[in-house]
This record gives sequence, structure tokens and C-alpha cells, in this order.
Amino acid sequence: MDRKKIRCISVFMLLTVLTAIVFVMNVFIGSSDISPREITDVIMMRSSNEISVGILWKIRIPRALSAMLLGGALALSGYLLQTFFHNPIAGPFVLGVSSGAKLTTAFVLIFAAGRFLSVNSFVMISAAFLGSLISLGFVLIISQKVKNMSMLVVCGVMIGYICSAVTDFAVTFADDSDIVNLHNWSMGTFSGMTMDNVQSIAIVTLTSSFAVFMLSKPIGAYTLGESYAENLGVNVKLLRIILILLSGFLSACVTAFAGPVSFVGIAVPHLIRQSFKTSKPIVLIPGCFLGGSVFCMLCDMISRTVFSPTELSISTVTAVFGAPVVIVIMLGRKKGSVNE
Amino acid sequence: MNEIMICADELSVGYKSPLIKNICFTVHAGEIMTLIGPNGSGKSTILKTLSGHLKKHGGAVFLNDRELDSMDQKEKAKKLSVLLTQRIHSDMMTCREVVETGRYPYTGYFGVLSDTDRKAVKDAMKTVEIEDLSETDFYSVSDGQRQRVMLARAICQEPEILILDEPTSYLDIYHKIKFLEILRKLAKSDGIAVILSMHELDLAKIISDHTLCVKNGEIVSSGKPKDIFKDDVICSLFGIPDELYNTYCK
Repeated sequence: MDRKKIRCISVFMLLTVLTAIVFVMNVFIGSSDISPREITDVIMMRSSNEISVGILWKIRIPRALSAMLLGGALALSGYLLQTFFHNPIAGPFVLGVSSGAKLTTAFVLIFAAGRFLSVNSFVMISAAFLGSLISLGFVLIISQKVKNMSMLVVCGVMIGYICSAVTDFAVTFADDSDIVNLHNWSMGTFSGMTMDNVQSIAIVTLTSSFAVFMLSKPIGAYTLGESYAENLGVNVKLLRIILILLSGFLSACVTAFAGPVSFVGIAVPHLIRQSFKTSKPIVLIPGCFLGGSVFCMLCDMISRTVFSPTELSISTVTAVFGAPVVIVIMLGRKKGSVNE
Repeated sequence: MNEIMICADELSVGYKSPLIKNICFTVHAGEIMTLIGPNGSGKSTILKTLSGHLKKHGGAVFLNDRELDSMDQKEKAKKLSVLLTQRIHSDMMTCREVVETGRYPYTGYFGVLSDTDRKAVKDAMKTVEIEDLSETDFYSVSDGQRQRVMLARAICQEPEILILDEPTSYLDIYHKIKFLEILRKLAKSDGIAVILSMHELDLAKIISDHTLCVKNGEIVSSGKPKDIFKDDVICSLFGIPDELYNTYCK
């Protein structure tokens, strides 16, 4: 027991330190050369160099913060979906949830924005939430018929493709002025975040994540299986609804602001589970959030620095690191099932 | 006579439509009731209704004096625990952690175990003789050990009624006997009412205080083991032709 506790504490410390280090790196590294001394001055509010102040407070810091918060939200959303479906390769991207959110958000941006309503964070999140729930609804209907976990994921990927196709269709025929930023956004990016965005993101992701954390105990019982959870006194029906809503909400927030970001939702919870070597939600929930933060900030830094000044879309980088993890999970499962 | 722990009164059970009607029985503290019958006869359906996983179609189930439906889930969780046929999802859980999940109804908001909880877990593991598996990964233990871990999990939920769905299937003969012996002792020492379904008639005969025979959506007979485990009753219950019975079952 003690060994497990020590492991748990040291992984948490490591994750916290990594989050801090990667955040600082994100602030210090960028395409325009600003000296570390200058950066420190700007952060301490001692600098009068307007360009540096602008780059840091308007570009780098909001971008790093949003990558941190949205990365955590995405990993947590993936964790919830995996718990819900008892399926280690479920995630908002592969189940088509992100693409559903992308579809509705794109429609709102193209058709409604500027005509009926102004585009603010609230409208974007609501649209994305609606889209993610529609996709989840389809996945739920399919999951009633398909018990096989790989088949469910294949169906989710198909839903994702359909949503993406419809989105592309709409984007193709939209006015140029409507889609200035749409193209970048629909590929997934953390660029162009403002401090106002960060504020909305923080409110949504932190409250949802807190709510998830408060549900640690029933989620733990649910992990065993529905029947056992029910016998232990969990209101399984209610819990399932809450799980779906929270995971939809978390991934909707990500899609609304950064577009669809792939593989974070699958890869991070798996890596976190492996490092903590436990299945206890009370450990995994904060662990996944921190892990997602580190993963996304790191990937974002790579996306904007490696081929600088050209920026890669965030999914390009997350897929490179995330997809192999999925393959490893699949291979691991196969070996396990032979032993059973 | 001991206190009545669970009793069914003209209970009818089933999924969408009633499958078995008119089920009546009473199990006292410390007694073991077995359900026997062919595959698909509805044994699991009865057990699932008693445990509250399925809604009943009519009649009533009483735990002590309370109607099952009138109790809330948390109350029920402290009175009744189960061992089901489906496997639990238990990635990266040690046997002790699996047993600990049985303490769910007693722990606080975040499910952190108190000293009382830890002691209950330890005692339960001692009762089923798996103390040495405490830190072993649940996936890596044998079928026989796994069933005992699951039994310990059910015990530390401190139930008055224990419901087990074919707990001894897939176990070798030694582990079957061992499991049933633990169950028998437990019923007697803690005054738990045990209801289980099983296919091993020779063993059911020995441990039952009372037996229900289920066939084609009907309770065809019920009573003391000496009245049930007779050649003609068993032959007709399972539909075994005489010559096969004489060759294999004598």
C-alpha cells in the first residue's frame, strides 16, 4: 500500500513540475526573439516595450493558458467516455463528438453570425455542446446494438467523417468573409486566443472538472460494471446521464475555441493510468487533467516552433504522439484476451 | 425458528413480459436456498429481481418486514449484496482493492476508507482465506481465487442477504467444495440468508436447506433437499431420459 502511495505522490509532483516547466517554456519560446530578461520584465510589469508586452500578454500567455486548460478538459472528457463505455479506446475525437461540435459551430459561424446574433463565447460553446450531444446521441444508439468495442469506435469514426464532410461542404460554399478564420479553426489550433477567451474557458473547464472530481466515488463504483454499481447503491441511470453531459460539455468547450483536437482524449488517460498504476478515479481525474495540460502545451509548442514561422495544426502534432499510444493499447488488449 | 430475512409472495418476474409467476418462498437467517433447473429456465431472472436489478411484474418481496420497492438504493445496499456471473472491469486493481469496493455504502463522500472499513475488508479476506492475495493483481489470480475475492467483496458489504448467480460454475471440484464450505459456515456464523443458483446437484443436495426447481418459466417444485433430490424429480426437471440417467447419474 505504501509503495502505491509513494508512486501516486511522486507522479503527481512530476506532473505539476512538468506543467510549470512546459508553461514557462511556452511563454519563453516563440518565433519573435525576446530575451529572457525582457520576458521577466514584461511579466513583472516593469517593461515599457510595447511590442514585447503585446506579444506576451496578447499572444503567448493566453495561448499557453488555453492549451493548458483545454488540454486538461480534453483528457478528462476522454476519461469520462472511456469510463462510460468501458472502452479504453473511446474518446471525443474517435467517437465523432469533436466533429459533431465542429459541425454545429461552423454552421453558427457561417449562417447565423453577424445576421441574427453576435459570436461570443457563450454562443460558440452552446453550439458546440449541441453538436457534441447530437453525435453522442448517435453513438449511444449504436452502442445499444454493437457491444464490440472496436466496432463502436469504427462507427464513431464514421460519424466523425460524415460531420466533417458536411462541415467542409458548408465551408466551401460560405462567403469568404465568413471563413477567414474558419479554415484554421476547423483544422484545430490554439492560436488567436484572447484573454477574454481564456476567462470563459477557465470558468467552463474548471467548474466541469470540479464537478467530475466530486463524482469520484460513484464513478469508481461504475467502473466495476453497471450491475455491481447498482447493488452498491449508485443511481446508475442518473450517473450515466451526468457522465455524458459533462464529457460532452468539456469536449464542446475545446472544440468551440480550438477546433477538433485529436487523440489527446485517448492517449492521455491511458498514459496516466499506466503511470499511476491504479484505476481509482480520485487519482485519475486530477491526473488526467494535468497530463492533458502538459501534453497539449507541449504539442502546441512543437506545432508553432518546429517549422516556424509556418504553424502546423495542433492535431497534426497530437496525432503523431497520440496515435501510436492507441495502437499500443489495441495490441495490449489482444494479448490480454488470449490469456483470459 | 430464526428470523425471516427474505420472503417472496406470489412474485412474478420477467424482462418485458412476466416469465415466471407465483413464486413463493421464505428464507430464514442462516439458511441456504438453492435454485436448480435447466439453462435458460429463469433462475437468473429470479435472482436479478430479488436483488433489485429487474423490476418485478407482480407480487411482493420482503426484506425483513420491508417491501423491497419501498427501500431506497442506499438502504438496500447495506442489506443485500450480490455475486453475479458477469466479470467486473478491474484494470489495475489488486484483490484488496476489489474487496474494498464492497465498502461503498459505508464510506464517506469521497469513498476514503476508515479504520472500521479496513478491518471489515481484512476480516472478509480472512474468512474466504485470500489474505495472501491482498496485493496481487485481480486479473492474474485463478478462477477459484477470483470467486473467493468476489465473495469477500460481497461479505464486507455486511449484508443480511447474499445472492449468488452460479458462483461455482467453471471451478474445479476442490474449489467448488471450498467455496460452498465457506458459504455454509458464513451463513451459520453470521446468520446471513443465502440464495444461490447452481448446476451441481450432488453439492446442492448437501448445502441446501431449501430448494426451488425452475423449469420453463414455472416453479415445478420446492421443498427440503430430501424431497427434491430424488431420481424421478430430477429426471423430469431436466428432462433426462431414463436410460441416460441410469448410465450417467447413478
